[in-house]
Amino acid sequence: MNNRKPEYLVPALIAGAVSGALSGIPFVNCLCCLWIIGGAVLASFLLARNTAGPLTAGDGAIVGALTGIVAAVIDSLISVPLRPVNAVFLRRIMDSLARFSDQMPAQWQELMQRNSAGGFSVSGFLFGLFFSAAIFAVLGVLGGVIGVSIFGRKKTPASPLPSQGPPDATA
Amino acid sequence: MRERIPPTSEAAVRRAVIPVFALTLAGTLAWLSAIFLAPCLKSRSPAAAAFLYSFFSPVCHQIPGRSFTFDGYPLAVCGRCLGIYAGFLAGLVIYPFARGFSRISLPPARLFLLLSVPVGLDFAGGFVRIWASPIGLRFAVGALWGILLPFYFITGVSELVLWRSSRKKGPEPSPRIDEPALDSPRRKNIE
Repeated sequence: MNNRKPEYLVPALIAGAVSGALSGIPFVNCLCCLWIIGGAVLASFLLARNTAGPLTAGDGAIVGALTGIVAAVIDSLISVPLRPVNAVFLRRIMDSLARFSDQMPAQWQELMQRNSAGGFSVSGFLFGLFFSAAIFAVLGVLGGVIGVSIFGRKKTPASPLPSQGPPDATA
Repeated sequence: MRERIPPTSEAAVRRAVIPVFALTLAGTLAWLSAIFLAPCLKSRSPAAAAFLYSFFSPVCHQIPGRSFTFDGYPLAVCGRCLGIYAGFLAGLVIYPFARGFSRISLPPARLFLLLSVPVGLDFAGGFVRIWASPIGLRFAVGALWGILLPFYFITGVSELVLWRSSRKKGPEPSPRIDEPALDSPRRKNIE
């Protein structure tokens, strides 16, 4: 019987990079937390494809958590240079809405300020990374287990029957 | 294939599931409380409110036009996200009655895919600009999807806890074959 442990890291790196990138790109990131869950489902798919035998919910939880952490790192790194782009994108939305409404809600202005305020600071980046990693890991666990339920349940291949050798001459 | 946990008793499963369930429930309540606390603190403590809004910013676009309001200000997450989290809480309430704490198993994949259709259609329709669904509908489809999620989360984490506890216990120690039993003639000869 093959007792090789599933390789969690490579599927987590691939799926985490994809979902982290999509979470950080403006306009595409409108799917909110579902990118992370979807990325973890993808990680489970990759894990199932590379693992002989069925996976369990625990396997999905591990690969999903790793995917979430990788996604948090990628998202945090991408968000730094894309922050001004996000602000421009939101400004365009506000400008289009302002053509049709007499008065913009105060919350929009605040949302703009929140997204464009302040420069980059290492402490702020690490702080945000820590919280993102924790939240994304939890979402990743969820997605990983969902992925295992869809892709990870395979029948264990039946072991071949032992070949019938010649009878023991000494018996 | 990973070394699987040996067959475990219902008591062992309960010892794993109940703490996981309790912590998940506590975390969910705290999460939802923070979502509603953010607008409450807007006029009372703007710095604390800003922290809470920033805390949820990695998981939600927080567009005010797509968020419910509370105490005059938008919640920390959009209507769809709030629906998912509220559905998650509802699923946690249902969990003990539907599954109990003595067994862990994943729901059928078909059920998950079925409940994902409304939220998928709602998102796709908005993304390609076929329609712009109202916040209430976003909340409802999110809640429908969120109800099933605790059954996955608790199963996965509980299984990790069971793995961990089975590895800590280790295999049953085999009897030492080099030491004679107390009433063995070999021991009497030694003494």
